[in-house]
Amino acid sequence: MGTSVRKVLKNKRLLWLLAYVIFFVALAWYFLYMKNADTMYFLQDRGWWNSTSLFFKDCISVPGGLLAWAGSFLTQIFYYPALGCLLLILLWLLTFGLAKYSFKVPSEWSFLLFIPLAALLCSIIQLGYWVYLLKDVDYVFYHSLGLFAALLLSLPFWRYLPVKVEIQGGGALAWIPLVAALFYYPLGIYAMLAAVLSAIQTSICLSKRKSNTFSAFFLPVFLLVLTLGLVPLLETSGTTQMRPDQPWTYGFHKFELDTLRDYSLEIPFYVAILAPVFFPFIRLIKVKKLWQSQGIMFLVALAMLLCLSKRDFKDYNFHAELRMQRAVEECRWNDVLREAALAKGPVTREMIMFRDIALINRGELCTKRYIYNNESILPETVSDSIHIRIADQAADLIYYNYGETIFGIRRAMERCMHYGYSYYTMRMLAQCALVNGEKDNVKKYLRILSRTTFQKKWAMEMKRFVDDENLFRTDNRFRMPFKLYNEGSELVGVDDKYVELTILNKWMYSLTNDPEAQEVALGCAMIMRNSKCFWSQVQQYYNINQGKSFPTHVQEAMLYEVYALNFQGVNLSFVKFDERVLERYKSFISKVKQYQSQGMDDKQIGSLLRSEFCDTYMWDYYVLREIQTN
Amino acid sequence: MKYRILLLLLLVTSCSKHPSLPTSFTEVNETPHIFPDYVDVMVPPNIAPLNFLVDDVEDVVAEIKSQASRVTFGGKKNKMQIDEKEWHELLAEAKGKSLSVRVYTKKDGKWLAYKPFSIDVAEEDIDPYVSFRVLPPTFVGYDELSIRQRNLTSFEETTIYNNRQISHGLEGQCINCHSYQNYGTSNMMFHTRMQNPGTMIVSDGELIFVNLKTDGMISAAAYNSWHPHLPIIAFSTDHTMQSFHTRDITKVEVMESASDLVIYDVKKNRVQVVLNDSTEWELFPSWSPDGKYLYYCSAHYEYHQGYEDTDELLKNYKQLQYNLYRLSFDADSMAFGEPELIYDARSKNRSAVQPRVSQDGRYVLFAEGPNGLFHIWHTSAEIEILDLQTGELLDTKAMNSSLPESYPSFSSNDRWIMFESRRDDGNYTRTYFAYFDKQGKVHKPFMMPAEDPEYFRLLLRSWSRPELMKEPVRITPRQFYEKILTEPLKVSN
Repeated sequence: MGTSVRKVLKNKRLLWLLAYVIFFVALAWYFLYMKNADTMYFLQDRGWWNSTSLFFKDCISVPGGLLAWAGSFLTQIFYYPALGCLLLILLWLLTFGLAKYSFKVPSEWSFLLFIPLAALLCSIIQLGYWVYLLKDVDYVFYHSLGLFAALLLSLPFWRYLPVKVEIQGGGALAWIPLVAALFYYPLGIYAMLAAVLSAIQTSICLSKRKSNTFSAFFLPVFLLVLTLGLVPLLETSGTTQMRPDQPWTYGFHKFELDTLRDYSLEIPFYVAILAPVFFPFIRLIKVKKLWQSQGIMFLVALAMLLCLSKRDFKDYNFHAELRMQRAVEECRWNDVLREAALAKGPVTREMIMFRDIALINRGELCTKRYIYNNESILPETVSDSIHIRIADQAADLIYYNYGETIFGIRRAMERCMHYGYSYYTMRMLAQCALVNGEKDNVKKYLRILSRTTFQKKWAMEMKRFVDDENLFRTDNRFRMPFKLYNEGSELVGVDDKYVELTILNKWMYSLTNDPEAQEVALGCAMIMRNSKCFWSQVQQYYNINQGKSFPTHVQEAMLYEVYALNFQGVNLSFVKFDERVLERYKSFISKVKQYQSQGMDDKQIGSLLRSEFCDTYMWDYYVLREIQTN
Repeated sequence: MKYRILLLLLLVTSCSKHPSLPTSFTEVNETPHIFPDYVDVMVPPNIAPLNFLVDDVEDVVAEIKSQASRVTFGGKKNKMQIDEKEWHELLAEAKGKSLSVRVYTKKDGKWLAYKPFSIDVAEEDIDPYVSFRVLPPTFVGYDELSIRQRNLTSFEETTIYNNRQISHGLEGQCINCHSYQNYGTSNMMFHTRMQNPGTMIVSDGELIFVNLKTDGMISAAAYNSWHPHLPIIAFSTDHTMQSFHTRDITKVEVMESASDLVIYDVKKNRVQVVLNDSTEWELFPSWSPDGKYLYYCSAHYEYHQGYEDTDELLKNYKQLQYNLYRLSFDADSMAFGEPELIYDARSKNRSAVQPRVSQDGRYVLFAEGPNGLFHIWHTSAEIEILDLQTGELLDTKAMNSSLPESYPSFSSNDRWIMFESRRDDGNYTRTYFAYFDKQGKVHKPFMMPAEDPEYFRLLLRSWSRPELMKEPVRITPRQFYEKILTEPLKVSN
C-alpha cells in the first residue's frame, strides 16, 4: 500500500470526505442513470448541436453563447446515457475539487461544496413533463459548465504573480470588472458570478493583508456593484436578441408557459448560483470535535437525499411514454406492446396511441386492441405544474405513423418555432417529407443531420431511401406510414390541438380498398363508437376480404351493437362468428343482467367482470362509458 | 531551417486568396453543377460576390476573367469565396459585358476542369438594400421573428426590428407587412400584432404608432402600399384564416373570409373607405408609380350558408380566385374611379395576387396560383408579367420553377425583378433576382449571394416578403421598441 494511501486512511477528515464524495457520486448515478436514463436520452434527443459555423454563430450571438454551444455539444453524449452521466458526474467532481482548492475549504466541511451540485442534479431530475417544453437545447450541461467556469475564473491567480503585493492587490481589483466584461458574452450570468466570487476573494485576501477598510471592503464592493450594473447593460446595448430587462438574467432558466410560471422548479438554480458565494466563508466555521462537523455533514447528506428523492419526477406513465416514444420511432413494436402490457393503472392517451400504432403495424388493431388497458387519465390529473397534451409531446410522431405527414410537418415545425430545432424534429421532418415525396426537402434535413455527431449514421442510412425509391417502398419501417398516406383521403381542416380525435375522425370515414388501411379505418370507427361508420366499415371489410372471417373485436362489436345497443337494420346471418366469441358474449350479457337484477350499478358490475372480460370490446364499451380521446 | 521555410511557403500558398490553377487536370465538356446556380446568369454591376460551392469535391479553384483581367479564387474545401474588393473591380471592368468563369474541382486527388460559363454584367444597378422577414416556415407560431435588412453590394446584414426585443415566453409578437414609400426609408411602416398591437409608421423620419382599426373596418389594416409621393397608405382590411391539407404538399390554404380596401392619411390621421362590397374580397393594394391608379386584386364570392361561414369556405376554397383590377385616383379630391378589370385570372382557373406596377407604368408584375392568395405554398404558383399596352402576358418561363414563386417586385429602375421562391428545397423561402431587359425579356434568375455559399442550405429559416430599398432604415431597433411600448394613436374616419 502506498504511503499516500496510508496517509489518507490515517486522516479521518479525509476518510470522511472520501465517504461523502462516494456518497454523492452514488447519489448522482442513482438518480441520473438508474432512475432517469430514459429522460437523459430524451433530453439529448430534443437537443441540437451541429458542427456548422452557422450554429456556432447563432449560439454566440447571445450572452452565455459559448456555454450554450459547449453545453449542447456535451448534452448530445447522453445518446449513450451511461457515458453522458459519467461525464456530467466527472464535471461535478472537477467543480468540487476546484472549489475546494480555490476557497481552501477544510476537508471536514468540504461536503458542503456539493450543495450547488446537488441542486444542479435536482434541476435535471425534477423536470417531468417540462422536458417537452424546454427551449434550451443545452439544459443539462449549461449550468454545470457555467458554475465550473465561474469558479475557474475566480481563482485568485493574482496571488502568484511575480510582482509587488500592492500591484497584486490592484490586479485583483481590476480583475473584478475585467472578468465580467471579457466573459459576459461567452458565459452570461456565470461571468457575473465569477465577478462576485472574485470580489469576495479579493476582499478576504486584502483584509488578511491588513489593508484599510476602504480598499479591503468598500472598493471591491463598489467595483462589483458597478460591474454588475453596467457590464450587461453596455455589452447588450445594440442587441435585438432580448428584452431590455433581460441582460442581467439572460441564461437563467425560467419555467414559464403562457401565463404559468413555476418558481419551485427554479429554486435549484438559485441554490447553484448563490451557494458558491458562501464558499469563501466555510473555512471560518470552527467546531471543537470532528463528530460535530461530521454530524452536520451527515444531516446535510440526509437532507440532500430526501430533497432529491422528493423532487425526482417518478410518474410511471411519464417514463413509459419516453420509452414507448423511442420504441415507436425505432419501429420496435414488441417493445411498445411490452410497455403497454406492463402499465398497471390508467394510462395516458399518448401511450394508448403508441400502442395502437404498434398494433396497426403488426396488423392486430382489431384483434388485440382490447386486450390492453384502455382506461386513460386526463392531462389535468398528472402530478405536474403543466397539463401537457399530445399536441405538445409527440403529435408529429403519431401523425407520421398514421400517414398524416402534412399535419406531422406542421406540428414539428411549430415545435421548432417554440422550442428550437432538435435531432428528433429534424428526423420527423425528414421522414414526413420522404413519405410526401419532397426529396429536396429531405436532402436539406439530411445534409444538416450529417453534420451532427450521433445522427450522421441515421442520415446516411436515410439518404439511400431518397436515392432509391424502390428501397423506400419496400422497407418495412415506411410501409404503414406510406400506405396510410396514400390510402387516406385528402381533406382540408385544422386539428385544434386534438391530435387523436383528428386522426380517428378522419379514418372512421375513410373508405379504402387496401385491407390493412381498411382495418385501421374499422378500428377507428370502433374506438369512436360511431355506429354508422362502424357498419359502413364492416360492409367495406366484407367487400374487400371475401371469405375471410371478421377479426375478434369486430365480431364482439357487431354482437354488442345489434343485441345490446339494438342497432337496427343489420342482418348478422351472413357472419360466421367464432364459437368462443359467441360464448363469451352470451356469458358477459347474462352476467351483466344477473348483477343488474341484484341492484348493482354499472361501475360495480364492470369491476366484477374485469378479470373475466376486460380483454373484450363489450367490457370496454360497458365500463369506459366516455370516449376519452385527446 | 529549410523545412520551416517550406512549411511557411506551404501555409502562405494554401491560405492565399489567389490560389494557383492546377497544372494537370482532366477536361470536362460541361459546365459545373454549382450551388447557388450562377451559371449563365445576368447580374447587376453592384452585386456582392457570387460565392458558390460544388458538392462532393475536396477542393475548388475558379478562374474569373473579364476582358481586362484574370483572377483566380479559392476557398475552404468545396467552397469558392471571392474577395469583395476584387469582385467589384471585376464587375466594374465587365459592366455591360461578361465575366467568364472556369471552375476546377479536385476529387479523389485528381483535378477536373469544367467548361467555362459566363456571368453577364448588366449596365443597370439594383437598389442596394433589401429588407425581409426572417422566421422558420411555421404556420401559427411566431416566437422568433425579425425584419432584417441586407446590403446587396456586400454581405452586411442588420436588424430593423426583432420581436425578441419585446416577447415574453411563448407569447410572441407577430411583425409583418413592412413597406416603404418609393424605395426610400424616410417613410415606411410595419405592423405589430398580438403583443403591443398596432402599426409602426415612419413619416418623414418621425415615428408614429397607430391603431389602424375603426368601427367600420373589418379588422386592423393589413396588406399595404404607400402612395409614391403623398402621405397616404392604401390598406386591405380582412379576416384571415388557414386550414391544412392532409395529403396535398401545398400543406396549407390561407383564406380570407372577407376583405375591403381603405386608405390612411398619415398626416391627417384619418381612414377613408375605398371599396367595401361584401361580395368582392379586395386585397393587396398597390399604387402605380405615378400615383394615378390603385391596383389590387379581388375575388368574387357570395355566401350561401351565412356570412363568413368558415365551413362553407373550407368546402369552396378552390373557388376563391382573384382577378387584377385598378381604380383611377384623383389626388385633389381624394376620389377613386370605378373598378377596371385588367387581368381575368379566374377565366383561366387561376388566381392572380400581389400586383406591382413598373416605373414606366407599362407592366404589371404579379404572382399567379391555382386559388387563394398565399402562393408561396402553392407548388404551381408562378410569377407573371402583364403588358398593359398589349394586354398580353410576357414569357416568364426563364424566371419560374416547378416549386412556388411569390411576392414579386420591380427595382426602382425597372431592370430587376425580385421575388421569393422555394425552388431549392420546397419549404424554405429564398430571395431571387432576375434581369428584365428593355425589350421585356426575363433572364435566368439568381439567388441572393451569401458570404458562406452554404448559408442558405443550412439556414432553417425563411427569408420572406423581400422589399428593395435605395437606402437602409436608419431608425434603430431600440427606437422602434420604445415607440411600440407607447399607447397607439386612434384614427378617425
